[in-house]
Amino acid sequence: MNTIFFSLLTLFSLFVFMNLGKVRASKKQTDRNDRINRFGSKQESGNKKSARSTIIEGEAEEINDNPKK
Amino acid sequence: MSKHSALNTFGRSGNPAFTKNFTNTDTSSLPLAERMTLDGAVNKTAVLLGLCFSGAFLGWNMPILVVPGMLIGFVLALVTIFRSPSKAGATAPFYALFQGMALGGITMFAEMQYPGIGIQAIGLTFGILASLLFCYKSGIIKPTENFKLMIVSATMGIMFLYLISFIMSFFGSGIGFIHSNGLFGIGFSLFVVAIAALNLVLDFDFIEEGAEKGLPKYMEWYGAFSLMVTLVWLYMEILRLLMKLRSR
Repeated sequence: MNTIFFSLLTLFSLFVFMNLGKVRASKKQTDRNDRINRFGSKQESGNKKSARSTIIEGEAEEINDNPKK
Repeated sequence: MSKHSALNTFGRSGNPAFTKNFTNTDTSSLPLAERMTLDGAVNKTAVLLGLCFSGAFLGWNMPILVVPGMLIGFVLALVTIFRSPSKAGATAPFYALFQGMALGGITMFAEMQYPGIGIQAIGLTFGILASLLFCYKSGIIKPTENFKLMIVSATMGIMFLYLISFIMSFFGSGIGFIHSNGLFGIGFSLFVVAIAALNLVLDFDFIEEGAEKGLPKYMEWYGAFSLMVTLVWLYMEILRLLMKLRSR
């Protein structure tokens, strides 16, 4: 009885793996901002973007500490 | 240690097979037929499982193959992880075959002591695989950087403990509670089974993201190999846990 139960469990699980494994994960899983960043994807580019956004655009002006009176 | 320095030190995945740096992989120029797919990774995992079962059949009938199977499998795993991930298509099938030989022999010895334990361990291993795959695909379990950091730390801690216990065994000593069948020993085994099982989630995520990003085709073999590494570990831990429970 034990053997039959675990054999069926094995076969059913392998069937589930072979079919479910080929299906794409749900949007709930893939469309997240906190996904593991293995290949330099969303999060890193997001960080770069935010780092870049701190730069103030415009022409640079020389600061003179001793202005002529 | 801050989160990011720990990630830099330990790599970006719990599974040692995923600690390689793949961040520079440029796949934009690859044709579609040469990109990683979910179908390919699952089919290759099925091939490796078939080879592992064939190896197990050999190991069961010739238990003398346990030690060579384990050693050769271990060396092949190291070669695949550290030397040539791109050659995983050549090394992973042999890894599965040799590890299968070792598992077959070990299961045979366990069966001699506790009849019926082998099929229970196999059933539980694949049951966990299927249920965690469902949880991952449906979004019930969501692997994040913190999740990964937790699994990496726990996995490395367990490996370190096993290494110390292995070294101590040469001097006639050891870490007793790891192998005891007391409540603490069973609790430790349950913890290790849980960590091994959660490593599967990281493997699924790697394969999913690899297919999404269109990594090179050989990564299908690498993903399947990584899944096999975790499954072999999970099976061994479940077998150990069941033996502890049956010996009480």
